[in-house]
Amino acid sequence: MPIVQLDQIRKQYGSKVAVEGLSLNIERGSMFGLLGPNGSGKTSTIRMMIGMTVPDSGGVSLFGQPFSRKQLARVGFLPEERGLYKKMKVLDQLVFLGRLHGLDAATAKSRSVAWCERLQIADTLQKKTEELSKGMQQKIQFIAALLHDPDLIIMDEPFSGLDPVNAQLLMDVLIDQRTQGKAILFSTHRMDQVERFCDSIALLSRGKLLLSGSMREIKSQYPRNRVEMIFTGNESFLDHPSVETYRLYEDGAELKLHEGKESRCVLRHALEHGTNIVRFEVMEPTLEEIFIEHVKASFGDADNGGAVDA
Amino acid sequence: MPTTGVRSMHNVLLIARREYFERVRTKGFLLATVLIPLVMGTLIFGSMLLMVTSKTQSHVAIVTTNNSLGTEMKQQLEGGQQAQMKVDLLAPSDAVRSQLEAQLHAKDSTLAGYLWVTPGETPEARPNVAYSARSAGDIATANALQDALRAVLMRERLTAHGLTTGDIDQLTAPVKIDTSASGDSGAAFLAAYMLFFLMYMVIMLYGMNTARSIIDEKTSRIFEVLLATIQPEQLLAGKILGVGAVGLTQISVWMLAAFAFAGSGLAPGMMSHGHPLISLAQIGFFILYFLFGFLIYSSIAAALGAMTNSEQELQQLNMFLVIPLVFCMVMIFPIMRAPDSTLARVASLIPFCSPLLMNFRISLTHVPAWEIWLSIGLMTATIAAILSFSARVYRVGILMYGKKPSLPEIVRWMRYS
Repeated sequence: MPIVQLDQIRKQYGSKVAVEGLSLNIERGSMFGLLGPNGSGKTSTIRMMIGMTVPDSGGVSLFGQPFSRKQLARVGFLPEERGLYKKMKVLDQLVFLGRLHGLDAATAKSRSVAWCERLQIADTLQKKTEELSKGMQQKIQFIAALLHDPDLIIMDEPFSGLDPVNAQLLMDVLIDQRTQGKAILFSTHRMDQVERFCDSIALLSRGKLLLSGSMREIKSQYPRNRVEMIFTGNESFLDHPSVETYRLYEDGAELKLHEGKESRCVLRHALEHGTNIVRFEVMEPTLEEIFIEHVKASFGDADNGGAVDA
Repeated sequence: MPTTGVRSMHNVLLIARREYFERVRTKGFLLATVLIPLVMGTLIFGSMLLMVTSKTQSHVAIVTTNNSLGTEMKQQLEGGQQAQMKVDLLAPSDAVRSQLEAQLHAKDSTLAGYLWVTPGETPEARPNVAYSARSAGDIATANALQDALRAVLMRERLTAHGLTTGDIDQLTAPVKIDTSASGDSGAAFLAAYMLFFLMYMVIMLYGMNTARSIIDEKTSRIFEVLLATIQPEQLLAGKILGVGAVGLTQISVWMLAAFAFAGSGLAPGMMSHGHPLISLAQIGFFILYFLFGFLIYSSIAAALGAMTNSEQELQQLNMFLVIPLVFCMVMIFPIMRAPDSTLARVASLIPFCSPLLMNFRISLTHVPAWEIWLSIGLMTATIAAILSFSARVYRVGILMYGKKPSLPEIVRWMRYS
């Protein structure tokens, strides 16, 4: 039973189609990346998932049942544009948001304290939000989304503006949540952030689904024909017939092989020519590359006007 | 769906509770609660005090050949209830006139003016009187002189017709009408007027707060988190209740202070003949209509807040809040004259006016119960309608934030959400 099931949903604002015939499933215990450039319909899709808007057609099911507002108590949401009451104390704020999600005051309070300790911001509990740094506010918002122990966690650009240490801290929390069987939805245009963690992705462009599936499946559809090398000594192996193009750097080179050619041959060839190899890595296509390729292709195909972020 | 109902009520109350406590705890609230009545009280009682104590104390001269008239006027003006003047009695002559003129223009003289009384041609005829004053604006002194002169002349003539002093005192004593059976209409009117202004002020003050609070949430973008669990209707209803409760708290503090003040006997003018100016029923109706008035105007404000994205935009639209209130102000005069006229009855049934005008009518006349119930029904329906309208505008408005909606757009929003 998927946690989220979107079935051919469509949403139109005036003359602008925000989402067109989108279907996707998010499973228990998985991280799902909803990817796409700005204005591709990610936020509209999320809003339909949490009942902020109703799709014009198509169905939204949460936890195996057609959407109803009752289910929202099991959903945690971190919106892209952060918002907290500036003048309110952190603890009061968290308790308020927790209670809106159906917690009683005492539970909300004890969980808030526990979470703030875990995210190393326990000293902010009695401070007003406006006194805190942006990163701290983001952590508080993050806590607010998790306070009621939701089964579905929706995070819109969760790490934007965070330093690497704190981003890692939050990522660890989310990985932990996945281990507990929660479903996590990331919405982002920063591919590199989700690449390592997402189990599946959906790639949106102009409100349409370009590509979806498990990360492994998608990547396996693309050839592993790029090699990154760090070496010293003889460079003549670069003229091996398997190498299509290469780019030479100070300490190494990036190679692109002809399709179907084994990287092993190049490695052997290099060793035989006395090249001193420090590193030899066959690169997977990055999500970013796949993304750019697809988005470019989709814009090329459908040249019917409308800017990317319209 | 009883559980859904309970749940949504729970959310409304949570929003209201937060709104209430966050507002009541601010220094601004405390300051306004204490300072506004203090300033108002000082102004009202200060001016009352001034009125009571400001007996005319000017220095005047009376020039007359009629000694008895002069002496009586001097008595009245120097020891009277309204005046404690200093009066010089002089016999007319050209020298006196030029001397008085000189004094009138001298800077170091205290003379405010002089009264020149020339006897009439026959003994029955009234004397001719001329008054020259230092300042034409010194109306109080002129009035005091006029009153005194009239009283003295009357007395003189009555005495001439053979009436005794006792008879004259009895004749000229002010008449008192006992209105305790029907209540003091003047006082009731005053009370109604005061309540009217109190209501007007609080509605303007707190209605705008509701709108501001909604806009605040839009700018700080909290609504995204909130709307992920609750519905716009609940959010708006919670805001209206929360901000309303703050208004009620403030006004209760003011009322209690006013009662304590009145009770302490410091303000005997507030009570007339032992009847409180404001009856218990009036207080009840005031609270009832205040609540409804607040809810109606807050929901209009909520709609304005839902439509706009900034304080500036709100300012442009706040005429929607002011116009009905101004209409009420205009209507107050015809209603005052004829509280039972068709015009008054229709106007007081318009939901936007009921809170002020119906309450006003109730304090002036006997309003049939069905009219009161009808007004309550109409107001309730109006609040519900505005609330659901605002919720739709709010929902669609935030989804397409960034630009101010035009009227046709708002109409179109009604169709999808």
